[in-house]
Amino acid sequence: MESTLILAFMFLSLIAFMLSGAGLAFVLGAIAFISTILLWGPSALIVAVLNTFETMTSESLMAIPLYVLMASILQKSSIIDALYDAMETWFSGVNGGLAVGTIAICTLLAAMTGVVGAAVAAMGILALPAMLSRGYYPPLALGAICAGGTLGILIPPSVVTIVYAITAQISIGKMFAAGIVPGIILASAYVLYILVRTWLNPALAPKPDQSVPIPLRVKLSKLKSLILPAFVVVGVLGSIYAGIATPTEAAAVGVLGAAISAIVTRRLSASMLSEAATDTLRVTAMILWITIGARAFISVFVATGGADSLLGFVENLEASRWLILGVMVLVLVFLGLFLDEIGIILLCVPVFLPIIIALDFDPLWFGVLFMITAQMAYITPPFGYTLFYLKGVLPEGIGIGQVYRGVVPFFLIQVVVLILFAVFPGLVTWLPEALNANAR
Amino acid sequence: ADGTKWRMQALWGGGTTPMIYEEAFCARVAELTNGSLEITPFAGGQIVPSAQAFDAVRGGAFEMMKTFDGYTAGKIPAHGFSSTVPFGFPDPDQYEAWFYERGGLELARESYAPAGLTYIAPTVYGQEPMHSTVPIRTIADLNGLKGRFVGLAAAVMGDFGVAVSPLPTSEVYSALDKGLIEVADRGDIKANYEEGLQEVAKYLILPGIHQPTTATSYVANTRAYDALDDQQKAALAVAAREISGSLRQNIIVSDGEYLKKYQDAGVEIIDLDPVDIAEARNQAVESWKKAATDNLSTRMMESQVALMQELRLL
Amino acid sequence: MIFLCQRITALNRLLFTGAKWLVYAIVLLMLWEVLSRYLFNSPTSWAPELATLTFGPYFLLGGPYLLHLGGHVAVDIISEKATGSFATALKLAGLVLAAVTGAILLWFSLPLVWQSFSYGETSYSAFNPVIWPAKAFLPLAALLLLLQALADVGFTLSSQKEAA
Ligand code: NA
Ligand code: NA
Repeated sequence: MESTLILAFMFLSLIAFMLSGAGLAFVLGAIAFISTILLWGPSALIVAVLNTFETMTSESLMAIPLYVLMASILQKSSIIDALYDAMETWFSGVNGGLAVGTIAICTLLAAMTGVVGAAVAAMGILALPAMLSRGYYPPLALGAICAGGTLGILIPPSVVTIVYAITAQISIGKMFAAGIVPGIILASAYVLYILVRTWLNPALAPKPDQSVPIPLRVKLSKLKSLILPAFVVVGVLGSIYAGIATPTEAAAVGVLGAAISAIVTRRLSASMLSEAATDTLRVTAMILWITIGARAFISVFVATGGADSLLGFVENLEASRWLILGVMVLVLVFLGLFLDEIGIILLCVPVFLPIIIALDFDPLWFGVLFMITAQMAYITPPFGYTLFYLKGVLPEGIGIGQVYRGVVPFFLIQVVVLILFAVFPGLVTWLPEALNANAR
Repeated sequence: ADGTKWRMQALWGGGTTPMIYEEAFCARVAELTNGSLEITPFAGGQIVPSAQAFDAVRGGAFEMMKTFDGYTAGKIPAHGFSSTVPFGFPDPDQYEAWFYERGGLELARESYAPAGLTYIAPTVYGQEPMHSTVPIRTIADLNGLKGRFVGLAAAVMGDFGVAVSPLPTSEVYSALDKGLIEVADRGDIKANYEEGLQEVAKYLILPGIHQPTTATSYVANTRAYDALDDQQKAALAVAAREISGSLRQNIIVSDGEYLKKYQDAGVEIIDLDPVDIAEARNQAVESWKKAATDNLSTRMMESQVALMQELRLL
Repeated sequence: MIFLCQRITALNRLLFTGAKWLVYAIVLLMLWEVLSRYLFNSPTSWAPELATLTFGPYFLLGGPYLLHLGGHVAVDIISEKATGSFATALKLAGLVLAAVTGAILLWFSLPLVWQSFSYGETSYSAFNPVIWPAKAFLPLAALLLLLQALADVGFTLSSQKEAA
């Protein structure tokens, strides 16, 4: 009973303080410190410092700045612009072509970088004005950008996946492999939805006048824009799966690839490197300071018996394992409304994973379900990163309300796909197992 | 009156065999003290990362830990010798004999006392294996390989010609799989099977010369320990010695069971020649001397060498 | 008073600007490790460890100035709509939480860093460097965070006074 009260106290004060608009890192940190003093004794505050020392020297968390840096350099190197240009040439004749093309570019960007911001910001600047000027229904355009942008979480490499893998103590390479097939399925589901919707109602996505057909020669020459992105994808994922580099080292290889791309497009300069470094430290400091707060929070929660009582509660439930899984996923989706994804992983995975293992589920497969709920979190208000990124680039006359409306169908697709993977775990586990079988 | 309530963080993952023995330890202490000392066990990393438990107990965040002295060998060089010694005692009974019969226990206590910590007793068990993607039939075959080892073993294996990378435990599987390294240590025979190393490394080398015997330790905050009565202190010592024997015997049996599983999975088990190892041990003494950088660690190393000479291991 | 707040902010901006370049050092160290392991077949013992020792100071030094920039993740549904003294109160509450975090990290990390220094603690790896210099960045960053939070309290109060 006592630990249930602790649980309630910690989470209620978390929500209350969070709504004040204070930085999440400091809300988590301060609540952890106050609960430590009240429930455990002031001498236990040392635990927060010890956890921080460990965070400071984590080889795996070090991948975060490297992937952010890579994304930032790519974004500034204009290869995304060239990609968009090619996509427009190829897809503009298709029903809803620009929206489909946006998903296609987002999928490619997802395979290059580990962070969501780059794709959403770039598509917001490039694809959104193009779609709107062609008379696309704004919510459809906005929804496609938001949903497409979050594919980078599931499709490797991915910072969120790395944090999950570290917290669940699963190999990062295996976790990456597990995201590939589900990521492609999810992207295809988005495309299918856009095609069906615009076929049913062509007014949502008007086609251009067919007066000037683009010659095939021009179309083919635009394919050159795929060379640099392909080079980066092969550089990062190839160096992991060919045994050249660990996932963290592969991120450094990706930075090198991005820098070479920038040299090719003649965008590399000292001021560009300086701006990229600024972006990188901003994002890294934000994530890692949250990590400090969240690790302090979770250790108090565990040490004062909160985690054990929750585990005991679940084990005593006479419910089926699938019902318990369903409840856990609902909790994740709910927290995703309010909380930062890295924070959710650091808070929930240590508590949920023993339950997952006790129920005889596969932590790798659960990880993929987790990544899909993470994608939901990124596009759901009030707290959603893609919404924040888009807010900055919305043109005159388009309100955030239209973004919310556009996100709804894509959110529902995510729900359907989530259930699909829950029911058919083989879709998730097939590729990592096949990669292992090859090694045999 | 209400009994004393302690928290103990161990270094094992939740639900693993050694963690179940830590739970048994806590239950045994409660039984021996008629419930006057209740210890709540926590798995490794649940409160603080295992390697940071030393400072957490020292600072009083929890009263007791089950730790691996190797974590703190960077602070206290003697802990390199009270945890595991590459090419050291080949038989866990010999290592435990050093603790109980040749003053090892007193030296270990001396190593913790200045930090305000009290060493209670070790849990001593056997080897951890090496897994390899290439056959290693003699010690000389190690020369030129890329490997993953940690702590003193990293330096010693380096002296035997291995190019050592300090990879995290979670990356051992994929590093062997992708050919980043050819040889690695990770955990014990059973834990490594459950991680699936038999899928990626076709050779299992015995004995694990980098870690032929292992001691983990029960250590308490001295202030908390001094507040105990004699019965409670005795209960800790008795329960610790019981667990040392029972966990070791469990590991002996499960090693046999799991080696069979490795063979069934197509892994070749290579037994190194004891003569080869004995020769290498004489060479390893030079590496030990380099690691014994202060008075206490030197005394510890010398008393182990003396016992090894009596046992004709050197 | 405001002058002092500005000095603190300037110091943290300088440290942020200096620290941001460390990410390139990390990239080069990691690439060097890949190169020496894959091409020269001889992994270094020092490159990955030096990179991880750089990582902590790198992100810690970014935190204090990020607080001034308002760059830490926050839920702004209420604070965005708040006006007047309520908005000021919310802002101050957030800064107090940051100050508490900084003060407690500072108070509890100093003795541990001192202890690491007096033991001459090393990492006990093949490279085996002393590690107190890297650890020392935690109390330093905690102190800077505390000072920045107080400086921003100063800025908030003085703009409140001007408005009144
Ligand atoms: Na990605
Ligand atoms: Na959300």
